[in-house]
Amino acid sequence: MKLGFWLRWSWRDLKARWLQVVAVALIIALGTGIYSGLGGQRSWREASNDASYSQLNMYDLQMKLADGSYLDYSDLQEALVDIEGVETVDMRLIVPTLVDASTADDTVLASGRIVGVDVHNDGPQIAKLYAADGRSLTSADAGTSNAFLESQFAEDNSLQVGDTLRITGDVALNLVGTGQSPEYFYVMVDSSTFGLGSFAVVFVSLETAQSLINRPGVVNNAVFTTRAGADVAVVQAAIEARMQERFPTVGATFNTKDEDAVHKQLYDDAKNDQATWDLVAMLFLLGAAFGTFNLTGRMVESQRRQIGIGMALGVPRHWLAFRPLLVGVQIAVLGTLFGLILGYGFSQLFASLFKSLIPLPIWKIDLYWPAYIRGAVLGIVLPMVATLIPVFRAVRVSPLDAIRSGNLVGKGGGLSWVVNRLPLPGKSFTQMPFKNVLRAPWRSFLTMLGIAMAITLLSMFVGFLDSFVATMDQAEKAYLHEGKDRVWVILDYFYPTDSTLVTDLEATTQPDGSSLFAQTETGLMLGGTLKNGNADEDIEVSLELYDGVAEGIWRPTLTEGRWASDGIIISQKAAKDLGVEVGDTITLEHPKREGPLAFRLTETAYTVVGLHDNPLRALAYMDMANAGDMGLAGETNLLVVTPINGADSDTIKQAFFAQSGVASVDAINDISEGFNEAIKIFAQVLTVVQGIVVFMAFLIAFNSTTINIDERVREIATMFAFGLPLRTVTRMQMLENLLIGLVGTLVGILLGWLVLNQFLTVRVEEQLEDFQFVIRIAPMTIITSIVLGVLTVALTPLVSIRKMVKMDIPSTLRVME
Amino acid sequence: MITLEHVSKRYQMGDVVVTALDDVSLHINRGEFVVVLGPSGSGKTTLLNLISALDTPTNGRIVIAGKDITQAKRFENFRFRRETVSFIFQTFNLFPSLTALENVQFAVDMRGNGANGAVPTLQSVGLGERVNHFPHELSGGEQQRVAIARALATGNPILLADEPTGELDFRTGVQILELLQSQATAGKTVLVVTHNREISRVADRVIELSSGKIVSDGVPQGGKAAIADLHW
Repeated sequence: MKLGFWLRWSWRDLKARWLQVVAVALIIALGTGIYSGLGGQRSWREASNDASYSQLNMYDLQMKLADGSYLDYSDLQEALVDIEGVETVDMRLIVPTLVDASTADDTVLASGRIVGVDVHNDGPQIAKLYAADGRSLTSADAGTSNAFLESQFAEDNSLQVGDTLRITGDVALNLVGTGQSPEYFYVMVDSSTFGLGSFAVVFVSLETAQSLINRPGVVNNAVFTTRAGADVAVVQAAIEARMQERFPTVGATFNTKDEDAVHKQLYDDAKNDQATWDLVAMLFLLGAAFGTFNLTGRMVESQRRQIGIGMALGVPRHWLAFRPLLVGVQIAVLGTLFGLILGYGFSQLFASLFKSLIPLPIWKIDLYWPAYIRGAVLGIVLPMVATLIPVFRAVRVSPLDAIRSGNLVGKGGGLSWVVNRLPLPGKSFTQMPFKNVLRAPWRSFLTMLGIAMAITLLSMFVGFLDSFVATMDQAEKAYLHEGKDRVWVILDYFYPTDSTLVTDLEATTQPDGSSLFAQTETGLMLGGTLKNGNADEDIEVSLELYDGVAEGIWRPTLTEGRWASDGIIISQKAAKDLGVEVGDTITLEHPKREGPLAFRLTETAYTVVGLHDNPLRALAYMDMANAGDMGLAGETNLLVVTPINGADSDTIKQAFFAQSGVASVDAINDISEGFNEAIKIFAQVLTVVQGIVVFMAFLIAFNSTTINIDERVREIATMFAFGLPLRTVTRMQMLENLLIGLVGTLVGILLGWLVLNQFLTVRVEEQLEDFQFVIRIAPMTIITSIVLGVLTVALTPLVSIRKMVKMDIPSTLRVME
Repeated sequence: MITLEHVSKRYQMGDVVVTALDDVSLHINRGEFVVVLGPSGSGKTTLLNLISALDTPTNGRIVIAGKDITQAKRFENFRFRRETVSFIFQTFNLFPSLTALENVQFAVDMRGNGANGAVPTLQSVGLGERVNHFPHELSGGEQQRVAIARALATGNPILLADEPTGELDFRTGVQILELLQSQATAGKTVLVVTHNREISRVADRVIELSSGKIVSDGVPQGGKAAIADLHW
């Protein structure tokens, strides 16, 4: 037989059920679209990252001097320049600052960082600046007040080239350019704090930076590129040895390019996002496969007698199977074609979203063909497999059975006998939906699974937001359980607590001379590394030291142990990752002052005296009694203050802004605002996901409902013939859908919880290792999922009311098959 | 009980107007067992559909149990079908996910007040032992008896049967006819549509249709026969 004949015939089958075909094709399209459009995102994101890092010559190795340490530029240059394997070395001076980004209507004093770079000889040579607007720094800028600002902060705060930027000490800088630098492609304050748009990174010449902190000629940071083929670990070891030899009293920490927080974030994020989108696409495609199975199953059933007639006429089975199979192919191809178009749209949308979120200098957004090909294959193969099953079953029945008219066919009640003896409530038409669900158990099961897939996606995504919110809530609670309005004033160096500078800062008043602070407290803030010989990794921590618990403005809430002067308080996550408990001994690598501007890193064993409740792993606390171990007894670099009634954090920031010795001022409330802002962006993305998922649930339910109506059209006509009102018939279908929707939703929530757990566990371990995630699906999410899942599915029969109203009851009642 | 006055029904089939019923007038009394006879396309099923308010006439008036159903609203027609007429179909149209008892109970629940009990009705059609069987577990005759029980259980005064023996063998068909005849004897109006002339021999009255018109209306030719005398 000619192919054209079968194609025409199957095309007519397709047209006869075009609405269901479109519904299934749309589900396939969503799956194929997500898979193909976002399937290549890891590749193009990594290609863009690679190109951007390459263009701006990202370092291979970074060396940070211990907190408070500075070395002379020439001394360090001379010590490092001839190390085997080093190609280039750049010296830098990085210090915290406060940036005034206030507008006429709003006071914005943002935390930030001054990065002094060597601008001579077309420098910086490593981690170069890319000017998105204006120009980069040149040797002509050495020692001047010209500055280059990270572009996301500039954009979010409406700062433009030509504007004057004011920083701590009320120093004015001229903005000559805005753009990016590889360490700040995605601004992170530290390994666990995102600062995109809220944390200012200001690049100035090295000379200017030195001048700003009144320490001419010093640097505290060096970056290296290595020669081709050189082993970075070997180079690092050589540098460490040289540093030990030349500057034995100065400690330094190292990180490679791969360990750079931003670098890690960009690459890990691309990888994890890809895994997420692949999972989402697969769930969509599974939903599509279930839908195709239901549809082709029904189509094959309606062709049963025709198949029987074909058998009676001697048509070979494979030809009989060809017609319904062709329908499956046509649906799959149609859906896949939609999907590829949709995929292109998704990829463009996603790419533009990323371009706006991460302003890389180079974006290589190409169509990633392998993903499209894989998506197309999956989009066709999965529905085809779903088509094969009912077709295979149909062509294996005997011709006599196939040709028999409808009422003589032994169509059983499926599993409806299961509920036959159960005392179901209500009249028979209330009970009938329960039996109908079980009457076609496979269809009910697959429809339920399809809906479950949709709800799994919904609860997984919203659950991720819930977990994120719960984690942030816990962090906020940990930060704000007391001293809610406190402000951290970080000093530019360590000063004796009784020094004039510190006492003057503590005595800072309002412009009218009235008191500004209700309470003040001094402390220390240092970087350190927690180590335990048995653990796989060391953990970098931000260590704060306070003087006992008696007069404190704020102390962490302890979940275990107690505040004691003879040990360290670490996070639960750090304790878990390091395999220690309260009472165990742990090693802290920390800076120890060896002389003016010289800190070396040393290791001290401390007892873990308590665990705090903050989910951020990197926070650790000690009593000031231990300051002697750091060579900082009686010294401070952290002033914690609370404003008097009527004053706010902006007033405090402004009061400190112009004072010498102040590096940055941070209000604790800004942290929670940052959390809320991050949640807001995330919630917006989730709204789109919710919409897509609800649409998918609707399509699956629509598909199932219309198939049910087609299949039971004579039953419905019989009910009408007996005078059962349309509303009762619709109510019965809604109840049936409600049952399937409810089970599907509950299964979906359960699956969502499992996927969320897996997802967060993997994500936590691979990417967000500094967070202890609270894995949670909020009651509101469960309610929303149930409402969206159950209501969408239950209300779908309303779409079919018109069809039932227009039903030709007499003709339907007489139809034999 | 049933009155049709100058009833016509025309359908538009593309460019052609097909007249299914042409100016039909008749009156059927309570308790009559009437057979509507005619070849395929004669308009007998259209007549049944109009009497059951499943369809509306193009012209004319239909009054059933004192109510003009041609003027009734949609919801009134639903109520009419629920409370006045009951159907028996050639292909039974039972609900496959319900047992025999549940199929009948369905009609009882739907009818509400005035319905008969499902079990006694099934017993009355000889299916007292088969109440918990699903339709696919019953023979064709048993299925049709369930369908009759479903119609009877409503307690409605008019039974409409469209080729009720069409799918059945002779022996079973005779049993069904006995059941229907007994309902007429019990006071129900029974209207059976068929193309089988043999069946019309047991009717009180035979209305013969041809091309949408009544060509004869009266007692069966040769007088009413006993069911035992039938053969086809």
